[in-house]
Amino acid sequence: MAKLPQDIHQAQLTLLLAAVMGCSQVLDQSVSLASERTSIERTYELTKYLDHQLKEIRDTYLSYLGPPFSDRDFSPPRPNSSSLSLPSAATRVDLWRGLENGVRLAQNQRAYTILLCAVKELASSTLCPYLQSSLLHFCSGLSGLLGAISGLMNTLGYTPPSHGNIPPLQGTTPIISAAPAPNDFSRKVEGFWVLRELQSWLQRSAKDFNRLKKRLRA
Amino acid sequence: MNSSHLYAYSDHREENSAWIWNEGESSSRLFFIFSLILLIPQVFSSSTHLAVISPQDPTLPIGSNLTASCTVSAHLGLSASSLYWTLNGRRLPSTMYTILGPTTLTLSLHGLNGSRQRSGDNLVCHRGNGGVLAGSCLYVGMPPEKPVNLSCWSRNTKDLRCSWSPGGQGETFINTRYALKYKLRWYGREKVCEDYSAGPGYSCYIPRDLAIFTPYEIWVEATNQLGSAISDVITLDILDVVTTDPPPNVQVSRVGDLDDLLTVRWGSPPALKDYLFRAKYQIRYRLEGSRDWTVVADVGNQTSCQLAGLRPGTVYFVQVRCNPVGIYGTKKPGIWSEWSHPTAASTPNSEHLCDSKPGEQNSTLRKELKQFFGWMRKHAYGCADVSIKLYDQWRVWLQKAHKKAQPGRYYGAVNHSTQQT
Repeated sequence: MAKLPQDIHQAQLTLLLAAVMGCSQVLDQSVSLASERTSIERTYELTKYLDHQLKEIRDTYLSYLGPPFSDRDFSPPRPNSSSLSLPSAATRVDLWRGLENGVRLAQNQRAYTILLCAVKELASSTLCPYLQSSLLHFCSGLSGLLGAISGLMNTLGYTPPSHGNIPPLQGTTPIISAAPAPNDFSRKVEGFWVLRELQSWLQRSAKDFNRLKKRLRA
Repeated sequence: MNSSHLYAYSDHREENSAWIWNEGESSSRLFFIFSLILLIPQVFSSSTHLAVISPQDPTLPIGSNLTASCTVSAHLGLSASSLYWTLNGRRLPSTMYTILGPTTLTLSLHGLNGSRQRSGDNLVCHRGNGGVLAGSCLYVGMPPEKPVNLSCWSRNTKDLRCSWSPGGQGETFINTRYALKYKLRWYGREKVCEDYSAGPGYSCYIPRDLAIFTPYEIWVEATNQLGSAISDVITLDILDVVTTDPPPNVQVSRVGDLDDLLTVRWGSPPALKDYLFRAKYQIRYRLEGSRDWTVVADVGNQTSCQLAGLRPGTVYFVQVRCNPVGIYGTKKPGIWSEWSHPTAASTPNSEHLCDSKPGEQNSTLRKELKQFFGWMRKHAYGCADVSIKLYDQWRVWLQKAHKKAQPGRYYGAVNHSTQQT
């Protein structure tokens, strides 16, 4: 039955999260760089794990949306909604290299805060129960990643941005909503893009944490 | 990403920023209101859309016809003749199109089939180079029919699980919601079951607050965008439909060296103690490669049984199930439980080890080792002490057990209670 791989993933995820949380919540003043690098390594591993999980969920979700969303080269225009108001994962190489550690982590934190809300919304509007529970399970992984990033920012001494607990942007619609009223098709396009952005960010985060690790070694 | 697309979706930003400026002054208030008045029409215009499709996200019965229109925004400078439609990714032929105006293309669809996916069929209006302008999700299905095959059972006299099937196929193409409702027959308000996630397929689980010795009325209501339907009502007393878990700890073992016997032992279900029922059991077994089960229908209420007349040197799969009878002193039979997980065992080879050919010797040895590991799990705590000595100890034990077994052969099934080892 489909549940069994989820149970195994659940167990693996719990172990990984416990390891990461255990490591990143050490607020000892004399913490050595070695333990910080272990924290970063574990966060890196969590990122790779979520990236792997996402591939499967994305395939299932795209076939739920149906063609043309499930077609290989399909690319609808990117909507300009609050769910997608996150910074782009893509950035110029020189700018990316030059990112200061705190800024690098803050960018990741902002991106995943928005993506977590977006995926939760995606899950709640999904009509297929199995897919819905897969997405919610994935949300708990994303939540763990956010926690790990916040923990890292703490241990490395970077103050998280003031909107650390960002209220969901969709709850505060501006007086003039410039986006067109959402319909079912445009919600599908939005869902398509949320998962695409999530994929880009998980791949970018892996590189971010690798770079962070190298920098701390120096 | 096409930069023109970016422009089309982001041009509202410049309009938005105009009113944030200069908030403190009274003159800015007028400016604010003025901008508001100017901008409100923009919200309702289609300038922020690339195109608009009508109808947007309709729900339709199977077999119906649909005429859809795509009106593209004037500022894109596209003509209706350059547009085309796709349905679920497949391009529709232009014979189905009608040009209604300079910027409006319509499509006529006939005899729609049920939706390909629950999230709706994707009807999309494209510009000439393939870019997506707008889309509409079509939900094509049928109103629900009376749900059928409603049946319920209780695991432990306190809960109730019910399952049913949709009355028709048409309702499965669109999102149809099912609500299982129940009430005490002679009094009480109607309650709705809440947990639909538990079982496979269409089922619901009521975990608590159920009365026994009194009948319930239970039914299912199906609703979707096209209509609703209610199943027939079934009436039952929870005690009529009690089942239990399959018997735990099913063990199958040889009877010494006797090559056509196997002994099956199992535990009695834990619920037996709590719910005051007697249990009766059934056993079924089959050969390893076969699909035909032999059922021992009347095992009574013993927790062990001997299977006889088996083939020597063969692997058998055995399962046991349980039926709670006389629940709380009533004479009612319950519902048979699921079969236990299959337990495998093999009968000994009739030929002596030393006489058999090397190939047969290997398969016999393999089967012996299988039994050895089973014995090990019972008697060896942890795997740290595994060694060839343990294997030799076991061989000695086996010979002693063989000497204790009664001589001669059994014919026909014999039930006798044996002590648990």
